[in-house]
Amino acid sequence: MMIKFFLRVFFLCVVSALALPSYAQSGAGADPRSLIDALSKADFGEAEKLIGQLAATGDARLVPALNAFSEGDLYFRKSDNLVFIGKSAGSNYELIDPVTGASAGQAAKNAVTKIKINNSLRRVIRSAMGGLTLLSPDRGVRLQAADAVLRSPSAENLELLETAISKETDGEVKARMVEARAVSLLSSDRSVDEKRAAIQTIKNYGGRNAIGILMGASASLDPSLKADVDAAIASIESGQRLWDIGQNVWYGVSLGSVLLLAAIGLAITFGVMGIINMAHGEMVMLGAYSTFVVQQVIRDSAPGLFDWSLAIALPVAFLVTGAVGFVIERGVIRFLYGRPLETLLATWGVSLILQQTIRSIFGPTNQEVGNPSWMSGSFPVGGMTITWNRMWIIAFSLSIFVALLVVMKKSSFGLNMRAVTQNRRMASSMGIKTPWVDAFTFALGSGIAGIAGVALSQIDNVSPNLGQSYIIDSFMVVVFGGVGNLWGTLVGALSLGVLNKFLEPSVGAVLGKILVLVLIILFIQKRPRGLFALKGRAVEA
Amino acid sequence: MNTISETRQKSLLYLENVSVSFDGFKALNSLSFVVEPGELRAIIGPNGAGKTTMMDIITGKTRPDTGTVLFEDTIDLTRQDEADIAQLGIGRKFQKPTVFESHTVWDNLELALNRSRGVFATLFYTLSPEDKARIEEILETIRMIHRKDEYAANLSHGQKQWLEIGMLLAQEPKLLLVDEPVAGMTDAETAETAVLLKEIAKTRSVVVVEHDMGFIRELGVKVTCLAEGSVLAEGSIDFVSNDPKVIENYLGR
Amino acid sequence: MISGFVFRALEGRIVAAVGILLAIGILVPALNLLTPPDSALHIPTYVMSLFGKYLCYALLALALDLVWGYCGILSLGHGAFFALGGYAMGMYLMRQIGSRGVYGNPILPDFMVFLNWKELPWFWYGFDWFVFAMVMVLVVPGLLAFVFGWFAFRSRVNGVYLSIITQAMTYALLLAFFRNDMGFGGNNGLTDFKDILGFSVQADGTRAVLFFMSALMLSLCLILASAIVRSKFGKVLVGVRDAESRVRFLGFRVENIKLFTFVVSAMMAGIAGALFVPQVGIINPGEFAPANSIEVVVWTAVGGRGTLIGPIIGAILVNGGKSFFTGAFPEIWLFALGGLFIAVTLFLPKGIVGTIQHGFKARKALKAAAEAEKGRGGTETVAQAQAAE
Repeated sequence: MMIKFFLRVFFLCVVSALALPSYAQSGAGADPRSLIDALSKADFGEAEKLIGQLAATGDARLVPALNAFSEGDLYFRKSDNLVFIGKSAGSNYELIDPVTGASAGQAAKNAVTKIKINNSLRRVIRSAMGGLTLLSPDRGVRLQAADAVLRSPSAENLELLETAISKETDGEVKARMVEARAVSLLSSDRSVDEKRAAIQTIKNYGGRNAIGILMGASASLDPSLKADVDAAIASIESGQRLWDIGQNVWYGVSLGSVLLLAAIGLAITFGVMGIINMAHGEMVMLGAYSTFVVQQVIRDSAPGLFDWSLAIALPVAFLVTGAVGFVIERGVIRFLYGRPLETLLATWGVSLILQQTIRSIFGPTNQEVGNPSWMSGSFPVGGMTITWNRMWIIAFSLSIFVALLVVMKKSSFGLNMRAVTQNRRMASSMGIKTPWVDAFTFALGSGIAGIAGVALSQIDNVSPNLGQSYIIDSFMVVVFGGVGNLWGTLVGALSLGVLNKFLEPSVGAVLGKILVLVLIILFIQKRPRGLFALKGRAVEA
Repeated sequence: MNTISETRQKSLLYLENVSVSFDGFKALNSLSFVVEPGELRAIIGPNGAGKTTMMDIITGKTRPDTGTVLFEDTIDLTRQDEADIAQLGIGRKFQKPTVFESHTVWDNLELALNRSRGVFATLFYTLSPEDKARIEEILETIRMIHRKDEYAANLSHGQKQWLEIGMLLAQEPKLLLVDEPVAGMTDAETAETAVLLKEIAKTRSVVVVEHDMGFIRELGVKVTCLAEGSVLAEGSIDFVSNDPKVIENYLGR
Repeated sequence: MISGFVFRALEGRIVAAVGILLAIGILVPALNLLTPPDSALHIPTYVMSLFGKYLCYALLALALDLVWGYCGILSLGHGAFFALGGYAMGMYLMRQIGSRGVYGNPILPDFMVFLNWKELPWFWYGFDWFVFAMVMVLVVPGLLAFVFGWFAFRSRVNGVYLSIITQAMTYALLLAFFRNDMGFGGNNGLTDFKDILGFSVQADGTRAVLFFMSALMLSLCLILASAIVRSKFGKVLVGVRDAESRVRFLGFRVENIKLFTFVVSAMMAGIAGALFVPQVGIINPGEFAPANSIEVVVWTAVGGRGTLIGPIIGAILVNGGKSFFTGAFPEIWLFALGGLFIAVTLFLPKGIVGTIQHGFKARKALKAAAEAEKGRGGTETVAQAQAAE
């Protein structure tokens, strides 16, 4: 995911870099075309040197060629050993000039040979590409380039970096470049004092990566620097510990928000109405498939709307699953009020039917649901990384929670709903149409599960079995939080999420989950009515 | 204080300063209440006065926040659970008649019989002639001998109430707590129930919670009126029903 | 005392059922072994093993019925007890492979060699001994049920809450058994069995004996269940199902009653699992899947919970249907199963046997009422009419 995204950004950089050609063509003298052509006869070692020389040209036009090389799309023509970027076009390749990007006609597949590539070369290419775009006039491109160098530092980029730093005016970009320079410097042949300063610089930036970089570099560094490296690592680690806890809390909250999303519909159908709805997970699954269908339609008819696909999918999913829920309540559940165990069985039957229906229509395999651009990527906060999709899902689940709370407490429907669940006979004698309230309450709970499905389609595999993986967790959250209490569901979901994530590093994901399950089982023994139990006069019989 | 220690000497059930609250609502507010051996006592009071909560506390269903609950002056009931308390000899009849509907009348009584109640004792239990005689005797008392093979589900409401009382008799309790025994009964059934309870009270203590003032008058026993979780008045039915506080709180004008 | 306990169990219908089961248990292996393969009466080994599987499922359903039908505890974890019994048997069978495994290690099963383990984990000790393994078939599920039930029943976790935590239990076990580090073969489970008590598990004769054993164990458990249900304990059990607090206020320790029943039932499920494994040749963590446990509930519900014959009939019917559908119309099976869940709860809550019994009882009651009217007259009929309401 990350790499794909990264490449996409690079592609954008390249396009913008090409718009202003030859800005950075001032580097070393060698002719880029002949350097590229030399790749046709080079072994991996020589290719690495050639890439270094290409990077030294500072010619941003070379980025597509390098990119193609790392993707395995660089070919040489057998007749004249000239190198081209090749794009498959039927039985032929379309050839593109690696420097100018101009078309160079076509060639039969057997007339060209692919230039071999391996992972260590790819790493070299990545850092070279970073170096090449450091001088781009576009601020975003420079920032990305500095990041790229930071990720795969190489001594070759050092001079280019220093040039770039001297020309840089933007503070944030400059800071990133200085960090990248410091990292690159460690593997260069500069003086010990310069390296000592670089270690300080890296220490000041901190972060988990910095520890890795310092550890990796310490072996090849001058022994006199060892103490500096150790001190720097210790200092970063002590700063990092807090961030690690923060990051764990964040992961936990993020998992908690997923649990909240999955459970919140159940908090209504099970918590408020007391219906054991085993088909709840399938409502989530239907919501996810609604998203898939909406995206298919958008892809086919209005690709420009793709970034809006989730916003469009929300009402669609709500209506689809709400309607299905309504039918289930009217068709099955209403005959079973007061018989919770039977409801459990019947809704399990419903869930099997829904699963098989989806399997028959869409097939048993995972469906590809795309992330809109605003859900992709991440940003750092101090020593932790926050991804946008998790960020949005947390925001989304909390807003659903708030919306639901408002509906329950403020709207007249919410009032009717509470009246019916608290005293059915009294409510009905006051003129509330209790059967309709039941049906719509169940539809609301189902609809919310559907909305949750839209969000979960972004982070989970969309398959007919999607719902199965959430149903047990959802029940655990509702029971743990206290049945009939929305706040309990919130607290339950978040605390289970955080607990899970804190157990994970020490015992592993699966064992962590098992432990959480066991803890919940024990907890229910202690407090059968959950965290936020409603006390009251013991009910008879 | 002298009086309390005197009453303690001979009480069967002794509650002192019992309080319990649910989410801030004080269901019982330093309630004190004493039942003597062989006594038949009636309890009245408006809804929410704490009558059922008091029974819950005596039978171990609810734990009091503070206060003393003693059985036969020595046994602390707050430390026992329902089964222990039942085995000590306190029987309880619920407001809603609760019998085993998918068993016959006979089986209901057989289960209630005061015999060893362990898992293996019940697995290998066989009906002895004494037990048979005892069940027949109780069937006689509750006037259901001809319906002994009927499923309890098929009994009328009043008959279920009697069956439940019969089960309590089979349990041979020293103290019987009866919650609204005549609710939903016909007048004739009510009168018969009064006779039945008086007969039962000859051999054990009985506490009856009831709304029906006519029924209580028929019993003709000492009455305790509860309101807002504590005792409002105690004495004969005429004394209590003329108490101005009782009139204001419960009987109304 | 004991004789009374057993004697009570042998009521007409149970005797008939046991007779039929034992007849099948002898007849089917006989037709498999004694008739030539081209005879019209011949039963192929795979069919016999398939029916043997159904008998194991029937025993599992009977075990569930004891807690659900009679005690009102809807356990969604009986698949776990079944699987544990199966694993105990699987471990015995693994040890019997000896050096005939792919890696030829005389002590370690193949998957341990594959995982680079150097010695047998302590909990595998003793499983090379058949008697020990068979004791474990009872002890392991029984112990889990005991520990789980001890906590759950003492703190009065009831109804759907109990169902949900039993489901969580089997789910946790599912996750655990998928882990390679657990030492039970990870997601491949235990398979490639060779011998049981020195006889090849593939041989027709062994299969025939296993089939007979399945029928025999089902019969014995049926008699045991019947003895329990018909004792005073059984009546208390039904009392717990219908009016738990009444039972408590009569002085019974409801938690002990439930615990005993739960443990006995878990052991029966373990026996079923142990007989199942050699007949299908594999046990893997999939058996812990919560869906499996719920499926057992529907077998029981279809046949009729609260009857002893019902779950046996239900398990055989539903699984027969499953074999047929998944062979002929695999797409339709889940629709059919889902529909069955809904239809049984809505239209046939007593199940097949329960409905037939009920109809029979109702007719008898009607006849009795008519006679009572003739005999006693007036006042009685009013009471009868009231009772009918």
